[in-house]
Amino acid sequence: MTEDEIVRAIAALSQPAPEPLRFRCLAGQVLADLSRKTGISLARLEILALQNGVAPEKYLRNFTTFSLDEQVRLLESGAALLGLGGLGGLVLEYLARSGVGRIRAADGDVFEESNCNRQILSSPANLGQSKAGAAAARARLLNPACEFEVWPKFVDAASVAACVRDREVVIDALGGLAMRRELAEAAAVAGVPLVTAGVAGLTGWVAVVAPGSASPAGLFAASKGQSAEIVSGTPAPAVGAAASVMAGCALDVLRGRRPALWGKMLLFDLADATFETVVL
Amino acid sequence: MYAALKCYATLSALQPENAGHFPLEPDETVERLIARLGIPGEEVAVVFVNGRTAPRETVLADGDRVGLFPVVGGG
Repeated sequence: MTEDEIVRAIAALSQPAPEPLRFRCLAGQVLADLSRKTGISLARLEILALQNGVAPEKYLRNFTTFSLDEQVRLLESGAALLGLGGLGGLVLEYLARSGVGRIRAADGDVFEESNCNRQILSSPANLGQSKAGAAAARARLLNPACEFEVWPKFVDAASVAACVRDREVVIDALGGLAMRRELAEAAAVAGVPLVTAGVAGLTGWVAVVAPGSASPAGLFAASKGQSAEIVSGTPAPAVGAAASVMAGCALDVLRGRRPALWGKMLLFDLADATFETVVL
Repeated sequence: MYAALKCYATLSALQPENAGHFPLEPDETVERLIARLGIPGEEVAVVFVNGRTAPRETVLADGDRVGLFPVVGGG
């Protein structure tokens, strides 16, 4: 089939999207069948459909907050996600479901029982197993159009540049502060915005660092104090709140918008419903 | 003169009852305020005054919003 024929087939098989949406939509099964028949990747077919005013039904509830063009941009975009624990597991969930086309995710850790209070990829059934492996299985299950590249290892100073290469956004979902400055530097060198967050107790912060600008990891670097999560832990609601804001910011960058937290840091405390934005 | 204080995470245990309307001493610095709250200085990683990072020598003014943040890096 030529591309014109495929576009005509997509149009013929599509139906009007529910009111008040003003475009057409197409079921995932139809696209999967078309992909099998033509040998064209699902991601490519989804992009072709969207470019011709037909939305894959799985993305219907992204509209009209996202435009059809922005959904295309998401499918053509790439993110690097470092850390697949509490923050990273949830960010992965949101990016894959939203239709981010290429996700490279790295974590060398295995699940332990104390992860289960918050890490959506963990369960009593997969203790001792690789976080990266669970993430790969989850991403493929959630969105077969998403190209998922998994790095089952801890990113270090030697590998961080390769991990952020050829990406439009870098997401720092690491636990602890050990590698965060190196990651901010690698993102700066690559000229890519960094979405970063941390949680302790019901307190958390989320920031978007413009390439080369001040990062929260830099702010914390001079401190001799103990990291607060060692005492207060990382309960699910705070991790979830931070991960949601991170995903929102990353999706903003990937669909070509400047996130509200650009060069800023959101501080929140769920204990008293404090939400404050500060300049980095 | 009053400031609105917010002590985050582990520092919240030392946040005073009247944090929203906390009386300041004349020419009080952030450093002095932290000491007066009984917070060990090394526990405060970042100080925010009116939505911007600020050095501890900053002299506080009436109506300032002061945020004290420890190291927070969990995920």
